[in-house]
Amino acid sequence: MADQGRWRSDLESGLRAASRAVAVPPAPDLTGAVRQRLETDARRRRHLPTLGSGRSHRRLVWRAALVGLVTIGVLLIATPQGRAAITGVLRFAGVELRQGRGPAPAHGRRASLPGEQRTTLAQARHLASFPILVPAALGRPDEVAVGDRGRVVSLIYTRTPHGLLRLDEFAGHLDALVFEKFIAFGHVTRVRVSGSTGLWLTGPHELVYINDAGIPVSASARMTTGNTLIWGTGRVALRLEGRVGKAAALAIASSAR
Amino acid sequence: MRRAIDDAEAVARARGGDLDAYAVLVARYTVRAHRAAFLLGAGEEADDVVQESFVKAFRHLDRFRVGEPFGPWLLRIVANETRNLTRSRRRRAALALRLATAPPGGVAADGPAAEVLAAERRARLVAAVNGLPTRQRQVLVCRYFLDLSEAETAQVLAWPLGSVKSSTSRALNRLRGLFVPDEQDRVANG
Repeated sequence: MADQGRWRSDLESGLRAASRAVAVPPAPDLTGAVRQRLETDARRRRHLPTLGSGRSHRRLVWRAALVGLVTIGVLLIATPQGRAAITGVLRFAGVELRQGRGPAPAHGRRASLPGEQRTTLAQARHLASFPILVPAALGRPDEVAVGDRGRVVSLIYTRTPHGLLRLDEFAGHLDALVFEKFIAFGHVTRVRVSGSTGLWLTGPHELVYINDAGIPVSASARMTTGNTLIWGTGRVALRLEGRVGKAAALAIASSAR
Repeated sequence: MRRAIDDAEAVARARGGDLDAYAVLVARYTVRAHRAAFLLGAGEEADDVVQESFVKAFRHLDRFRVGEPFGPWLLRIVANETRNLTRSRRRRAALALRLATAPPGGVAADGPAAEVLAAERRARLVAAVNGLPTRQRQVLVCRYFLDLSEAETAQVLAWPLGSVKSSTSRALNRLRGLFVPDEQDRVANG
């Protein structure tokens, strides 16, 4: 029995020693993200009674189901089928996609990014922390705007065959949430852009800018126009928005230099 | 400067809707929760699992019994979320644990021979843990990788205490044949 105890305690200390050497990635700072989720919850709960009790109950049940699906949503988009319904939150190239309603878009005034100002392409290149890409298919933009101290640069094309097009660019780090999108089922398709993954979103959706403290800026909330293509190059994340078809959007994206 | 509040006070305030108090708990337990999620099989999705777990824990704070430790209570939610994730992946909790060792030919090779041997032994042991059935691996992760007691492991995995004991014994027995204890360790520890 003494031997029995001996091998077991040897093995146990061996396991404890091995555990200290197991590679675990660094833990993220989640205080901001968790707080944001809980604040959104609290806001939604305050709105529920106006829907009537029966309906609010159904909504609560629906939301509970949705929460359980969050991680599945991430996995579905990673499947090779190409088409995937987003059933929760998906983080992609600095953009967070969520199903459900977002903050109400600003009414009666133009939505804008914090400190947004018109500038020139050269000046924008000077202000931005990332290389600004220009699609050869569109050429030089008609207007350039810089927002939030160079965190976002928008190239605006007013006269294209597709009408008004807007190309937002931001430092494409996967962890930094820059825009939050609120989308419905089935409106997102996975696409390939220059050999890497992109997302094609059909139809308007709510868009809100998240500042570098992780807080949604409600003055920036608006409905998008037409369709949106999101892709990234590793250093830069881009979103092209306008009444443009998928093939044309992909051609524009792949010409970005 | 803000006064540090203990877990019980933070929970009590968070129950009343104080998000600042809850942020204290989130900051305090993120590393542990993340390690647990990662080691129990969430892998790269550990961040999402932990975020989701904190949100759920907040919603269920009314079920938390005053006076019980917050850590194991939270880890039970983390373990459950991880299980949901691995189930949805339709594959076993296939996290291949890896050792954070220096690359071959690097520091380890130049170090003392005993250190190299110890590293090899750890690598064999981790490989053996990887090869165990899911339940046995989970129980070993809780007991020895997360340093939980048998009672805490039972709470986190939502198993009866007897199952924790028997699964631990079965897992250790399976590893016994694969693990040759190091004589130097024996002398040093014994």
